[in-house]
Amino acid sequence: MAARTESRWGKWLVSGPPLLYLIVFFAVPALIMVMASFRTPGEFGGLAPLRDENGNLDLNLESYTRFFGDALYAQIFLKSFWYALLTTLICLVLAYPLAALIARSDRKHRDLLLLLVILPFWSNFLIRVYAWMIILGPNAAFAQSLNALLGVFGQEPVSLLFSSFAVLVCLVYVHLPFMVLPLYANLEKHDQALLDAAQDLGANAWQRFWRITFPLSLPGVYAGSALVFIPAFGIFAIPDILGGPNDSLIGNVIKQQFLETRDWPFGSVLSIVLTVAALAVAGLAAWVGRRGVGRLAA
Amino acid sequence: MRKRSPWLWVCALVVYAFLYLPLVIVVVYSFNDSRLNAEWVGFTLDWYRKLFANDEMLLAAGNSLLIAFVASVVSTILGTMAGMAMHRYRLRLLPILVLTPIAIPEILMGVSLLIFFVLLNFTLGLVSVALAHISFCIGFVAIVVRARLSGMDETLVEAARDCGASPLQAFAHVTLPLIMPGVIAGALMAFTLSIDDFVITFFTAGAGTVTLPLQIYSMIKIAVTPEVNAVSTLLMLLTLLLIVIASKVSPSLLRSNQEKAPS
Amino acid sequence: MKKLAIVLLALAALPAFAKDQLHLYNWNNYIAQETVKRFEDFCKCEVVQTYYSDNEELLAKLAAGAKGYDVLVPTGNAVQALIRGSQLKPLDKKELPNLKNVDPTYLNTPFDPDNKYSAPYAMSMTILGYNEEKMKELGLPTDTWAAIFDPKYLAKVKGRVTVLDSPDELFAAALKYLGYSANDTDEKHWKEAADVMRKAKPFWAAFNASSYIKELTVGNIWLVHGYSNDIFQANQDAQAAGRKFHIRQGLPKEGAVLAVDSMVIHKAAPRPDLAHKFINFMLDGKNSAELTNLIGSGNPNLDAQKYIKPELKANPAIFPPKDVQAKLEQLQDLKPAQRRLRSRLWTEIKAR
Repeated sequence: MAARTESRWGKWLVSGPPLLYLIVFFAVPALIMVMASFRTPGEFGGLAPLRDENGNLDLNLESYTRFFGDALYAQIFLKSFWYALLTTLICLVLAYPLAALIARSDRKHRDLLLLLVILPFWSNFLIRVYAWMIILGPNAAFAQSLNALLGVFGQEPVSLLFSSFAVLVCLVYVHLPFMVLPLYANLEKHDQALLDAAQDLGANAWQRFWRITFPLSLPGVYAGSALVFIPAFGIFAIPDILGGPNDSLIGNVIKQQFLETRDWPFGSVLSIVLTVAALAVAGLAAWVGRRGVGRLAA
Repeated sequence: MRKRSPWLWVCALVVYAFLYLPLVIVVVYSFNDSRLNAEWVGFTLDWYRKLFANDEMLLAAGNSLLIAFVASVVSTILGTMAGMAMHRYRLRLLPILVLTPIAIPEILMGVSLLIFFVLLNFTLGLVSVALAHISFCIGFVAIVVRARLSGMDETLVEAARDCGASPLQAFAHVTLPLIMPGVIAGALMAFTLSIDDFVITFFTAGAGTVTLPLQIYSMIKIAVTPEVNAVSTLLMLLTLLLIVIASKVSPSLLRSNQEKAPS
Repeated sequence: MKKLAIVLLALAALPAFAKDQLHLYNWNNYIAQETVKRFEDFCKCEVVQTYYSDNEELLAKLAAGAKGYDVLVPTGNAVQALIRGSQLKPLDKKELPNLKNVDPTYLNTPFDPDNKYSAPYAMSMTILGYNEEKMKELGLPTDTWAAIFDPKYLAKVKGRVTVLDSPDELFAAALKYLGYSANDTDEKHWKEAADVMRKAKPFWAAFNASSYIKELTVGNIWLVHGYSNDIFQANQDAQAAGRKFHIRQGLPKEGAVLAVDSMVIHKAAPRPDLAHKFINFMLDGKNSAELTNLIGSGNPNLDAQKYIKPELKANPAIFPPKDVQAKLEQLQDLKPAQRRLRSRLWTEIKAR
């Protein structure tokens, strides 16, 4: 067939440009820092010279042994994992109805509704977080009414600000559009006729959702979850601004290595482990999902 | 008959409310008569006045828009190509190169790109920032486009080819309209990521390169004044306006395809 | 695609043919706009400002090789790191006649003997900031580090205290509280300091270096570990907003950290001539005073005294008296092994 013979150079035509760009402007720089994980930190910052006084290559596994020999970092990784997982799940629950609504709207409204989702995120990140500090502040309505309610039950008032709750709310908020948009892109192509047919055959709303819509939307669910979980795993800015004293995440530790401690090799090691872990989780979820979809479709 | 569930509307509205509550505060507080973004004191237009006299902030906003525009266009093109390639062909390297920039901590990316540019003796500036932004935006577009493509009916494309269309025509008239919602979604995400990026921008910006996040984050230890709220409000309105104008000028480009595949 | 990249590269490599420019890499709001304009008129050049909000950000960027900056304004221990890392150009004293205006106490530091590389610019102390009415109401002391470290005082302000998110600053405060020097490098003492922090942590609302000052100003937080000029500004903002309380600066009697920011010239500065002009300009009393009058920062320049507002001169947190000065210490930079140990202790404190 005509298509087959062209697929050879078609493959390179389509995958070539992005591949080339990413190799030059991502892979090569990243490899520099991966190499850095095998080097020694510089006396005053940065990295020590590649060749030591004797002209020998100064490479070692010191930073790796430090990481793997210390349970502390594994603990922090686990904490970040839970935050990222929770964020992803909450985002999924919140984003789904929104994405479904936009996908099922008629053409006129669809673009507007989509823009309305992303519009708040063109304001600066910092002031959005500051807005949350105002909303969750001890003098604002939300905290006041919550504490009044707790007071009725004889409980101690809680602080919503500088807490894990505040961090989670902000994490969900900041990542929500990255769940809505992929879900929307997938839901938009669902054929309403399938659902109508199911309804005619007697399926109720929940059955229509769980047995038709949701399985068909799984690629969108995975795309959205990946685009939320992976960045959320490594975030540091939100705990820095409104986190409590116990909300230090792996992203904060990595930032600290590059800035205050000026231990770039160790920062590199932590970053590599984070990257590998995040990709592994994404890969695992996709693999499980692919097997699961098979069963659901049966 | 299509029955739109009222529950769907209610849930969606609740989520919209969640999205817009902080934004309302951002806009309202741009009129706040207080240096701090912490409590309402009184109404004033001073911050808007200060903003229009603040050349630095305006330049930063302009740079951010420019970089975001360039980065989102280029990364959408490259990301769409990557998404299509990953869907159609069994590739090993590209999926990894596409996903990893999303996973890798920004500070590592920033430092490594800086070292890379310095090694090449590449003068840092707006270009270096744009190149860096494109790097991490490609992945987002690629993943969305690929998700959109998954399950897409290949027979449509083959039918077009059988009817005599060249590969380019098949792409432009069949594939592209079908994946357009994914492409648009990816472009919107890329724009959002670029306009708000701080860490990578910090390391790859040159001496004298200002973008809005750089400007704003440098105020973090002093006071993030309502001037920032003002510039954000205006930036949002401006971007919205530009998109509305663009959609009027080229409706076929931005409208999501209404043709559904025959079942 | 490659062609486009080459064209872009070529465009980016074009040298700037703009008029004379001085690239100043400084903290935000750390120079008055009038001063900049006056300098631009004086030197017939343009001052291009870029900002950083943390010494460490500056160090990381320069360590990775960034170029293009003329004048930087790092704090003492960062100056030390830069000097040791051979990142600075020596100052040409002939171009800096105004250097004699600086108080000799701040010249000739151990890390820059004879001021080969740095010229003092402004200073601040890391002290306590507090809501005067609330602390009086609770009967808590405000002139000792015990206010943020002693559980018996902390119990009364639980959840209303923040400390700086900086290992250097917090360790220094804890070491001072324990009676050691802020620059003590004894591992045992560091572990003691870490224990003090661990006991106090349950009462702290957050480790925060960015949003704490506004929380103090609006009254959500009552006691902070923070920088003196920020706390000074907080009171100004609180009064401007009509709040019923005052924010005061508390100088701990055990001593505190003094941060002296100095002007230095990067080794690859494109315009060292303009850089020297600028530094000399800023060492003139009138120009130096403008910053103090703007943000309430400490001023090492003797000639500036006559231009500073009297109420600022009388403020002991801006111009500490001699007995307090004796207890202030400037932080020294640490060696890699020490930084690593401190980082481990810090990570553990924040994680558990």
